[in-house]
Parts: sequence; C-alpha cells; structure tokens
Amino acid sequence: MRRLQLLLAVAVFMSATHWMTLRARANDAAGVKVEMSTEQAQPREVEDSTQKAIVRDYTAAWKAMEAALASNQDAGLAAQFSGNALQLLQDRVQQQKKSGLRTRFVDHGHKLSAIFYSPEGSAMELHDTAQLEIETLDGSKVHHSQPVTLHYVALMTTAEDRWKVRLLQGVPNF
Amino acid sequence: MRKLLLGVVMIAMCWFAAYAAHAAELQPPAHAVAGAGFDIKTSGSGSDTLILIGPASALKREVALGEPVSIAGDEARAAGRYLAILSSGGDSTSKEFFVSSGQASDLVFLARPSRVATAQKGAISGVAFVFDEYKNLVLAPTPVKFALSVEGHAPVLRTVTAREGVAWTHMDSTSNQGAAQFVASLPQGGSDASIRRVVQQVAAEACNLRMKAQPQGNAILVETEPIKDCSGNPVPDGTIVTFTETDASGISTVDARIKKDVARAELPASHSATINVASGVVLGNEIHWGGGQ
Repeated sequence: MRRLQLLLAVAVFMSATHWMTLRARANDAAGVKVEMSTEQAQPREVEDSTQKAIVRDYTAAWKAMEAALASNQDAGLAAQFSGNALQLLQDRVQQQKKSGLRTRFVDHGHKLSAIFYSPEGSAMELHDTAQLEIETLDGSKVHHSQPVTLHYVALMTTAEDRWKVRLLQGVPNF
Repeated sequence: MRKLLLGVVMIAMCWFAAYAAHAAELQPPAHAVAGAGFDIKTSGSGSDTLILIGPASALKREVALGEPVSIAGDEARAAGRYLAILSSGGDSTSKEFFVSSGQASDLVFLARPSRVATAQKGAISGVAFVFDEYKNLVLAPTPVKFALSVEGHAPVLRTVTAREGVAWTHMDSTSNQGAAQFVASLPQGGSDASIRRVVQQVAAEACNLRMKAQPQGNAILVETEPIKDCSGNPVPDGTIVTFTETDASGISTVDARIKKDVARAELPASHSATINVASGVVLGNEIHWGGGQ
C-alpha cells in the first residue's frame, strides 16, 4: 500500500512538474529560437546585416503572434506584421475571443531558409520549418495538445525601421 | 463461476460496441480551396462540439454526429493549416488538413529603378508576387508576363513562370528616352490583373563628344556639337560639361551646362594651349590652340 502511495505521489509530482514547465515555456517569450540559412536565396545574395535583421524580426514576430493567440490581445501584432498577415491574425484573435478559445504554443525553434531576396532588397520570401507544441484551450480546459512540425512560407518586407511579416502561410511541405 | 465471467465479458463487449458506435470520427476534405467552402464529415451518433482553428478563424459550434459539417467560403478564406477538433466531455479527436490558395487573380509588382539611363544591360528589375482573390500566395507555377515599352516603339516582352508565388526578371532599358511603361500581368486564367509602373528612361552618357574653338575678342570661345548619347538621344539640358585649357601659365577650367543640346564657354586667350572637353566619365576631342589644331 505504501509503495502504491509512493508511486502515485511520484506520478503526480512528475505530471505537475511537466505541466509547470510547459506553462513556463509557453509564457517565456525569449524561448523562440530561429536559425537561418541563405544559400538558396535568389537572385540577390543576402547581406550579413540583413540576415541578422531578418532573424531578429522574424523571432519578434513569432513572439508577438504566440503572445496574441495565448492572451487574445492583438495590440502587439502591428509592430511585427503588416498587410494580409496582420489582418488574418487580428481576425483569428477576434474569433478566438468570441468563441472563448485560446492557443498556447511551446516553441522548440524554427529553421528558416531564404529562397528569394528581391534585387532592390526590399522583400524576402522564406521557408520556415517550425517545431511546436500547440495547445487549443476552451477557457482553461485543454481540448487538444500536439507536438507538430509545421511548414510555413513567409514573406517579409521592409518597413520603417525593421522587416515585417507580410504573409505567413502554412503548407503541407516544401 | 464460468457463467458469471461469460456474463461480464458479454456486458463488456456490449458496452464497447455501444461506445464504438457512438465514438465520433472526423474526415476533413482531401482538397479544400480558400474561399470555396467545404464539408467536414463526421461519424458516430449524438452531438459534439466542433472546433475549427485556421489562420484567420477559430470557430466553435455544436454539430450532429453522422452528418457533414458545412464550412462556408467566408469562414475559410485563408490558405494554410486548419485543425478540426471534435470534443465531447473529456474526449476529443482531431484532424489537421490544408486549404490551398485559389486561382491566381492578383499581383503585387515591384519595379526598380524609377529612373534609368537608356540602353543599359539588365538595369530594370521587376518582381511580381502572385495572389488569389483572397490575398493568399499562389504557390503553384503561374506564368507572369512582363512588358516594357516606350511610346511609339514595340514593347519588350518576357514571360516568367512564378515559383513559390514569385516571378522576377531583369530587363535592359530601351534605347529611347521617355516614360517607359513597365507592366506585369497574368496572361492565363481569364484574370485581368495588370499592374503598371513607370520607369523614366533618360539619355545615357554623352557619346562622340566633340567641340570647336574660335577666337572671340580677348578670349577663346569653345562650343560643343549637339551632345547625344550612343542611341542618339539628346543629353538633358543642365548636364555639366567641363572645358580645360592648359598652357604655360597653368590650367584653366570652366564648367558649363548644356543648353539646347550644346555647351559653350569662354576660356582665357593664349598663344599656345591644349583644350580638352569632358562630360562625366566621357572624354571628348582635344584641340591644340595656337600651334595649329
């Protein structure tokens, strides 16, 4: 009987620890890690400074998106997204709010590959392979939780002082 | 005892059969297109809550199991990954699927530069992103037509197949100056998408720059022939032409602007001098003054 109690206690402790770790990582905005390769970029070669800026701003965009979809607050999106990407995310946040849903991410990182860099240097198309755990919540109840590898086509364009995500479209594969 | 066990097993099997009959399953569409709407088939009996998460949507509705759930075109305009979840009590089942973009019907066109010299190799670049009517990037190969033309001359045409939603080209500026119309359009699918940009083509550097000199009072008057580029376009008024006179007393330089196709200047009189003319990186003829030309 004591062994059973001990086993139960260990199981409860491990579950709680795992749950708290997931929560902490979900709330940790600094957890988004982006690696970028530029070998496939055409027709222009990506400059080192541009690569750093893209990594910085794409990371910030994912942080903003994950925060917005977890909290159903879209105020932080406009700083990192523009055009149709911004509109779609704002629509998603509004619908989540209306339905009482939220989406929580645990972000295990992104492998970003530039495939197109415009000749004049104002637009870049990228492929992103993202490792994520996505939880769909209805109120506080987790309806669905799944580790996934997702593929995105992203289009980034220059804005005032940064690159903004203008399009983020999920695709089955590249 | 055996009968009791058999009874328990029978009850368990019946319960499992009833559970399996009630168990809800989802079957999302195999091919869904943005804005077209689709059905999600369900199996089982009773009712459940369907949650549909998409790039721009988060729907939640009660559905009758065993009947298809219709998602209207307006509810799935965005291409991308969708997740359908059926939830009942503590159980849930889910399926992911992808909605693809529709037919190409819109373009975003970037053209550079806005001003360029005539007859320059690959000086004009055009980039076209291909979208469907709901602003989804069309990833399927799509031909895009680029046309560069100056009024009164035949356009230069090029068709490029967009890959991953983007087509680009480099084109030579034409040999005629003027406002060139740079147009990107979708030649297929009945779309009238056509985006126009203006690239101002101006005369290039002077070509065959030549001058003559003649005495004028106590000075030497130098004057160029009409200055044109290598395609015969007059170099714009206001362009600087530099005349340089070198003699025993030193060097005299005069910068003159082109006015009505020619540039002229007065240089100090000299018994023996060498006079040069240049415009930008182009050097013209040389005159030896006083010792015979």
